[in-house]
Amino acid sequence: MIEVEDLHKRYGAVRAVNGVSFRAENGKVTGLLGPNGAGKTTTLRMLSSLIRPDAGRSLIDGIDVARDRHAALARLGILPDSRGLYPRLTAREHLHYFGSLHGIDRRALERRVDELIELLDMPQIIDRPVAGFSQGERTKVAIGRALVHDPPNVVLDEATNGLDVMSTRAMRSVIRELCSRGRCVLFSSHVMQEVSELCDHIVVFAGGRVVADGSPDTLRRDTGEANLEEAFVKVIGSTVGLS
Amino acid sequence: MIRAVFHKELVDHCRDRRSMLGALVLPVLGPLVLVGLFRLLSQLGGDPPIQLPVVGAEHAPRLVEYLKASGAELLPAPPSPEESVRRGDVDAVLVIAPDYGERFALGRSAPVQLIVDQSRSEAARTARRVTRLVYGYAQSLGALRLLARGISPEVATPIELEELDLSTPQKLAANLLNVVPMLLMLAAFMGGMNVAIDTTAGERERGSLEPLLLNPVPRYRLVLGKWLTTVVFSTVITLVTLVGLSLTVRFLPLEEVGLKVLLGPAEALSMLASVLPLTLFASALQMLIATFARSFKEAQTYLSLFNLLPMAPSMVLMLEPTRTAAWMLPIPALAQVSTLVDVMRGESVPVWHFGLIMLSSLAYTALCLWLLVRLLGREQIIFGRS
Repeated sequence: MIEVEDLHKRYGAVRAVNGVSFRAENGKVTGLLGPNGAGKTTTLRMLSSLIRPDAGRSLIDGIDVARDRHAALARLGILPDSRGLYPRLTAREHLHYFGSLHGIDRRALERRVDELIELLDMPQIIDRPVAGFSQGERTKVAIGRALVHDPPNVVLDEATNGLDVMSTRAMRSVIRELCSRGRCVLFSSHVMQEVSELCDHIVVFAGGRVVADGSPDTLRRDTGEANLEEAFVKVIGSTVGLS
Repeated sequence: MIRAVFHKELVDHCRDRRSMLGALVLPVLGPLVLVGLFRLLSQLGGDPPIQLPVVGAEHAPRLVEYLKASGAELLPAPPSPEESVRRGDVDAVLVIAPDYGERFALGRSAPVQLIVDQSRSEAARTARRVTRLVYGYAQSLGALRLLARGISPEVATPIELEELDLSTPQKLAANLLNVVPMLLMLAAFMGGMNVAIDTTAGERERGSLEPLLLNPVPRYRLVLGKWLTTVVFSTVITLVTLVGLSLTVRFLPLEEVGLKVLLGPAEALSMLASVLPLTLFASALQMLIATFARSFKEAQTYLSLFNLLPMAPSMVLMLEPTRTAAWMLPIPALAQVSTLVDVMRGESVPVWHFGLIMLSSLAYTALCLWLLVRLLGREQIIFGRS
């Protein structure tokens, strides 16, 4: 479970994140939806310890990220905004590298890599250097790398960005699979369809704040709009930056 | 986990053509530069071989052998030596007396005469060279005789005069000495340069720094793993360059340009003791500088300029040769160049010099690595500044 409590972050005069709180439950897909620049990525970076918040805190399964960074990270699998790979290494070597950074022993790692090959459907590419990979294949490696320690909490920042239809579908099925295994999945996107398709719980961001928080049904009911898209437009106040 | 990082970076960079090529430049180029300079020197300076007519060569076969081995070209004597010298047909004539062998065997001074006309400067010059050769031979024989009687040859040489000729070819030749440390400095800095950039600025530019920092690993371990890889590259390249230079020096006929350079296995080991601490520091410093750069290219620009700095001490020492002083030892590059020149001159370098070099290098390295760890905790560094 991921809990974010009253996070603040400002850059000079810009309040990038201005009092954000939400909770992502286990066994559910929680979506962070908002236009570009709404503070989603900054929030995710704060809850993954790379940015120190000005105020507020993030808890991963009850562990305060600021207090015990390593314990929190061990329970988090993160696909961050930048997901660069090492072009000269194979997909398998990427998984091994990150696995050994998590302190997983050799044999357990081999088993885990086999599971990931199946989960992400990448038996054809696992032993190829990633230099020639397509965007979808690269994302698979990046996700595999984030999941190598089988984390109970998974954070995906714009996971389907730049993917073609097939890769997007594959990604969705991976997310559903994780969710059905009881993982807590936090998924950020500026694509409305993506979020409405996948998420059990939606947190809507605008201007560094949470402007709506609830299940798709609650959102529709609260805004009085039958269509989810209209509901989003209503809570955000404009369509700028949404697609 | 340091091992995991080290192992990954090592594999990664052994597959990287840019790292390997960049690293191989000096081991190949270094010896070539040395040979080239030497060629240049021997064309510029270097006296022509002595042409020396000898009378009575048959009386002293050993001496004749020695003269030939030292590069003198021995000619048959003209019918009237004194007349030839006076006329200027030949510069000098060496006359070995018939009783040379007899007196020599008795352990007495064996007479040898050099006919020369000192008023002719060219002839005088040749005569000086012959004199030096003959005395050199006599001295080594004398030393042997003393040794045979259990006396140290040094007893008979209360003063040893060493001539440092500053005429152009010799000065150039002496500078050849400074090229070797300079090339080694370059090797230490260039060997790991690409790795230093790729593991810092490159890591961020390709967007893999953020995922890497999201592992539950203390940043110092990541830094140490990357640093060790850079050190391995820098060290291996320095080693290979040193071996290359050592072999080159061995096969170059340096005596011909009047140069005494010691660069055998023992000297190479002393040089390593001086240079290896530098590879530790150079690697850490280069990573630190590259971390500040916004991109791989920018880091490359910074470091190519920066890598010229360690050549400065060589330049200074070339213009103004000085002996190693204690204050030089904590100054990276200057300490190395200075001790390397000492070693090649055959002077013994006190062990505490190496100790001080090692300690100061370790201190600088620790400082750089500490700063690097701090930097990797800063948002502007992780996400780049724009």
